[in-house]
Amino acid sequence: MSIAGWQDALREVTGVAGVRGALIISAEDGLVIAETAMDDLATADVAALSAALVSRARRCTAALHATPPESVHLVGERGAVLAVAGPAPLWLVAVARDDAELGRLRLVLRDAAGALH
Amino acid sequence: MAFLELGERLRQRGQLAAAATVALAGLGHYPAVADAHDLLARIRADQGNDAGAIAAWHATLECDTGHLGARKGLAFIAFRSGEFALAERYLEAAAMGAPHDATILAALDRVRSLPRGSTEDAVRLADPASGVLLFDMQGMRLAGTVADSGDVSVADAVSADAAGLAREATRAARLLGLGAVRHIVLETADARIAVIPVRHDAALLLHRSASTPLGRLLALGGRAAHAAREWLERMQ
Amino acid sequence: MRVLEPWVADPLTEFLRESGARLALVMTSSGQVIAQDGFTRSLDVMSAAALGAGILATTQELATILDAPRGFGAIVHQGERQGVWLAGFDTPRGRWIGLVVFGHESSVGLVRLFFARFAQQVAAAAPVVTPVREVLAEGFERELDDSLRALFGTR
Repeated sequence: MSIAGWQDALREVTGVAGVRGALIISAEDGLVIAETAMDDLATADVAALSAALVSRARRCTAALHATPPESVHLVGERGAVLAVAGPAPLWLVAVARDDAELGRLRLVLRDAAGALH
Repeated sequence: MAFLELGERLRQRGQLAAAATVALAGLGHYPAVADAHDLLARIRADQGNDAGAIAAWHATLECDTGHLGARKGLAFIAFRSGEFALAERYLEAAAMGAPHDATILAALDRVRSLPRGSTEDAVRLADPASGVLLFDMQGMRLAGTVADSGDVSVADAVSADAAGLAREATRAARLLGLGAVRHIVLETADARIAVIPVRHDAALLLHRSASTPLGRLLALGGRAAHAAREWLERMQ
Repeated sequence: MRVLEPWVADPLTEFLRESGARLALVMTSSGQVIAQDGFTRSLDVMSAAALGAGILATTQELATILDAPRGFGAIVHQGERQGVWLAGFDTPRGRWIGLVVFGHESSVGLVRLFFARFAQQVAAAAPVVTPVREVLAEGFERELDDSLRALFGTR
């Protein structure tokens, strides 16, 4: 997929109500590859911390003898980070407010991550 | 009443939405028929809607205080949620109404055979293909297993890694301003995993098959977390 | 961990814990070592400090040629089993350099994130500025030796 295609995927994610930003990150090095986000969102921090979370999630599923994670959701009292695996090592990540429709966001992310291939 | 038979047949075929439509339509005409509420409760239970099933079985008992199906159903839901004492009470009430019913007596024996007050008892949910683990934030297992094999070495390894995941999530939530962690969910091709903080120093991991709806997973996790919290407080 | 400036210890400890880095070396832009963690041989510290300061100085020159006077922020070398992060940061004591070695248990992103916090904490923790002594080329080796004695004890 082209860079323009990535931007389309990101825009689709940020189109979901309550989403503060969407990023494509490299889970190996925790860096931002592409992003569409509100100004106040520290996307580089999101990338680093999401990648660390994905790394921990992989270890956890490996210990369970399960297949590697395809999505990781971190839901807090004031917001959430949802990450869905794209073509390795890319992950599509969304940061949402606490009033976002996480069910819908999960589905949109899954479709958009599939389109990154 | 034809709708009862039709609704039950649809339920047994797995056509739950159609079965619910039939049951609700029947209840519209016969709101005082206990079996109609019982049918709806069984459909709700099959749909994974425990709250709906419980409400319908309570309605059944309002119509017929001795309804065996309702007592067995409520016992089943309580058992599935790990509330074994409650399950036992429902089964005892059912046994009083049908002292020779072998299924009730067998269920009662099973519930009574469970080790009460053990760590596992606090968080166990009835699903032999998966499990619940309670662990502290240093990664030490406090209770539970992750598989019916009861392999504690696997459970210990999962506890260590799940605690690492929980700590990582806490850090990310703090630095990204997400507030206190409610839960972490991992979806894999073959599993759904929820990690839920129980207290600042402990969390639990719930492991289910990939077919488990996420909402249901989290509802079960919430209940298990509540049970685990009470158990930890009793320990202190 | 060995530190020449005690107020660097806490920020460095936090940085190492949060980033998961394997080794860390903090030095002045002339290569004088301020703190280190993870190195076991003084020779390694001396070499790493000199090379790190040299790499950053060289890169700064390259930045000047490429019309980027503020430099490139950080330099990352990513190897198969570990990576190296090298970056300068301003403190009340002048410009310092951090050299960080990290493995698979960390990432460039995590090192970047927590290095930025480390730099802020060091700047905030620094005591009132005292005049910085100019380190001349001929004093470079002696400065290193002094640092190493403090960091590793008598050699």
